[in-house]
Amino acid sequence: MMTGNRTECEAVVRRLWPHLDGALSDDEREWITRHLEGCVDCRSHFDFGRAFLEAVTAAHDGEDVAPGLREKVLAALAREGFSSQPG
Amino acid sequence: MTTSLVSMPATVSRSGSDARSRDEAFAAIALPLLPAITRLARALAGNAADADDLVQETYLRAFRYWHSFTPGTDCRLWLARICRNALHDMRRRESREIATEDAELESLASARVHTAAVAAGLGDMYARVDLRPAIRSAIAQLDPVFRDVVVMSDVEGFSYEEIAEAAGIPIGTVRSRLYRGRRQLQESLMTYALDAGFATAARSRSPQNDDR
Repeated sequence: MMTGNRTECEAVVRRLWPHLDGALSDDEREWITRHLEGCVDCRSHFDFGRAFLEAVTAAHDGEDVAPGLREKVLAALAREGFSSQPG
Repeated sequence: MTTSLVSMPATVSRSGSDARSRDEAFAAIALPLLPAITRLARALAGNAADADDLVQETYLRAFRYWHSFTPGTDCRLWLARICRNALHDMRRRESREIATEDAELESLASARVHTAAVAAGLGDMYARVDLRPAIRSAIAQLDPVFRDVVVMSDVEGFSYEEIAEAAGIPIGTVRSRLYRGRRQLQESLMTYALDAGFATAARSRSPQNDDR
């Protein structure tokens, strides 16, 4: 199913990343949202972009500080005069 | 350990109570952000050893310049800015400008990557394939000019404005670097999925043999 309006589709897809980043003005965002509701092709591009962004975020979830790094940092700070034991 | 810590002249001689309240504030505000800064450093530095040095350097600088942190502002962003500056000093790398291109063209390019992925049977690759290791490795292989911006945006969730401020570049440059970096990531992930044979699996899948 196509909307058949290639010029509008191109203008919408040009705003793919700023739209997904929430960086558009209210007017532009509403216009894009309305277009996507009626245009399967454009919507699939945006869905793919969103899935990509979520995958990048998820790829770094649950990373924690390496064992020993915290102690290393604290030791270096202590040489600068930092005391983690207040009082 | 190699040290880029050119020793700073002792700034001000502080009374004991000044030093204590400084240390308490630093421990309460900056230290809890260690996991976030470690994650940032890992993504920026590209390898674990450099990342550890970078975390340490970031915290040393943060401690030395703690007096310039404004209480109540976003300490994570402040530390991220220090981290990025420290990395650049460590690498002594000139940050080179890419030709300023219409950032919107990169959005169109990403849509073409999607079209190619659909044609290859990979339209649902993000739902179907565990790409986490591939994503981390693809980010590590990005040109640092793009990686810095992609990591700050897509791993750490900073806004265009925050990245522009932290990286000292105009917002237009943030956008063009970010979008190009994303497109390069998308292309390498698609190459990975193709090489790993996931496209073939998609084509051979049919409703009849889903009952394993």
